[in-house]
Amino acid sequence: MILRTGISFFTDTPAYPGADEVGGIGPSLLGTMWLGIVSTAIGIPLSVLTGIFIVEFRNHKLAKITKVFTHSLLEIPTVLIGMLVFLTIVVPTGHYSLLAGSIALVIVMLPYTMSYLERALDEVPRTYKEAGYSIGMTRKQVVFKVVLGIAKPGVAAGLLIGVAKGISETAPLLFTIGSARGDFPVSPMDLGKPGDAIPLLIFQFIQSPYENWHDLAWGASFVLTVIVLVTFALVKLVVREVKL
Amino acid sequence: MAEELLEVRVEDLNVWIGDNHILKDVYMRAVPGTVTAVMGPSGSGKSTLIRVINRLIDLVPGSKVKGRVMIGKINVLESDPYMVRRRIGMVFQEPNPFPHMTIYENVAIGPRLHGLAREREEIDRIVEWALKKAQLWDEVKDRLDDYPYQLSGGQKQRLSLARALALKPRVLLLDEPTANIDPVSTVKVERSIIEYAKENMATVIIVTHTPQQAARISDNILFIYEGRVIEYGPTREVVLHPREELTRKFLGGEV
Repeated sequence: MILRTGISFFTDTPAYPGADEVGGIGPSLLGTMWLGIVSTAIGIPLSVLTGIFIVEFRNHKLAKITKVFTHSLLEIPTVLIGMLVFLTIVVPTGHYSLLAGSIALVIVMLPYTMSYLERALDEVPRTYKEAGYSIGMTRKQVVFKVVLGIAKPGVAAGLLIGVAKGISETAPLLFTIGSARGDFPVSPMDLGKPGDAIPLLIFQFIQSPYENWHDLAWGASFVLTVIVLVTFALVKLVVREVKL
Repeated sequence: MAEELLEVRVEDLNVWIGDNHILKDVYMRAVPGTVTAVMGPSGSGKSTLIRVINRLIDLVPGSKVKGRVMIGKINVLESDPYMVRRRIGMVFQEPNPFPHMTIYENVAIGPRLHGLAREREEIDRIVEWALKKAQLWDEVKDRLDDYPYQLSGGQKQRLSLARALALKPRVLLLDEPTANIDPVSTVKVERSIIEYAKENMATVIIVTHTPQQAARISDNILFIYEGRVIEYGPTREVVLHPREELTRKFLGGEV
């Protein structure tokens, strides 16, 4: 399929229903890219800080609550997360947006990244923290220079897995980004506008009665698979363990 | 830098961890330019004692400390622990150079952290000096960018020692530093410790569970048993003419 259309598959907009050609997944690919970038930009610092909070302040009540909360997010159907963002962001702002979608994805990602992060941070042997304090490091320095440094591969793996999980989700995007394929955000300034994403395109086109849209959806599925596989390959690559 | 002489004096020290009374009315004195060995069977509270001196005890949940720990003129227990630790180096039982930093970075981190040196050349000099003091330089000078996992256990321990020495601590604490390493490295670590104490008039306190090591390297011995000071005095006297029955038994390997 992709071989037939060539490079334009990645750049064109989808063709009209029932047309002879299939067009391309340009808007959706771009949207997925933006969703990935924005949700990563929000999700990474949020996950890392939450993870550190949970592990380093484990006896604090708020840390315990946060832990239970993030873990229970895992059990919430992602479609409900989409609904939640719809009610709290889309309705008040009056329109769909890639930004709202990104926030929904962050919520989906969070429990995944958190469980990896928690384990990675937890596994750093106590003796290295002691060593850090013994040379006069503050708690902050111990956390950022020692604990995070040693746990880095595990942390990176957790974050990438979270991102891969996030960008392949459909349900949280159903009521948040608005599947705009004609007038869609290109520049980062337009992220407040509706956009599209590959999983959403697949979901909608595969249900349509049109042959050419089916083909497009199959092609898009392949692209999504490749994206996710590449992300996992990256995980393997960055997880060069810190040998103790 | 003017070499400040800092004597360590512990008075009426009581430490609890949870409901356990770990140290009971402990006292000791460690003089600049000497090595003081804290000796006793495992579980006697030796490690806890030196962790009080640099306030690492703060990290132990449920710990409570009473008494006085004077370093020079300041009471450590009433001071900012971060300031205290900058002047006090520590080497631990398990060799623990930071695994995510190179050999060079492990030694350079202390001086960099505290702004002791900014120029690359200056840091290079400190790194070389510290690694030489820890008797590791000859083995690693051509591979300073390697990571610690490429070193043997004994080399790792000397790297940990170099990391501590790079800050030129006035007080050096060692918690059974040779318990887990090979005999050759043990000799090197012991030699470094004695040298550092004498050359820099530093106050060195080493925890050991072997009387042999205490006899080899220390000027004074503090013998602790079940959290109490049993005997304290010059090494020769304690080893050759112990006053207490318990000390005699420990030296004879009976306790």
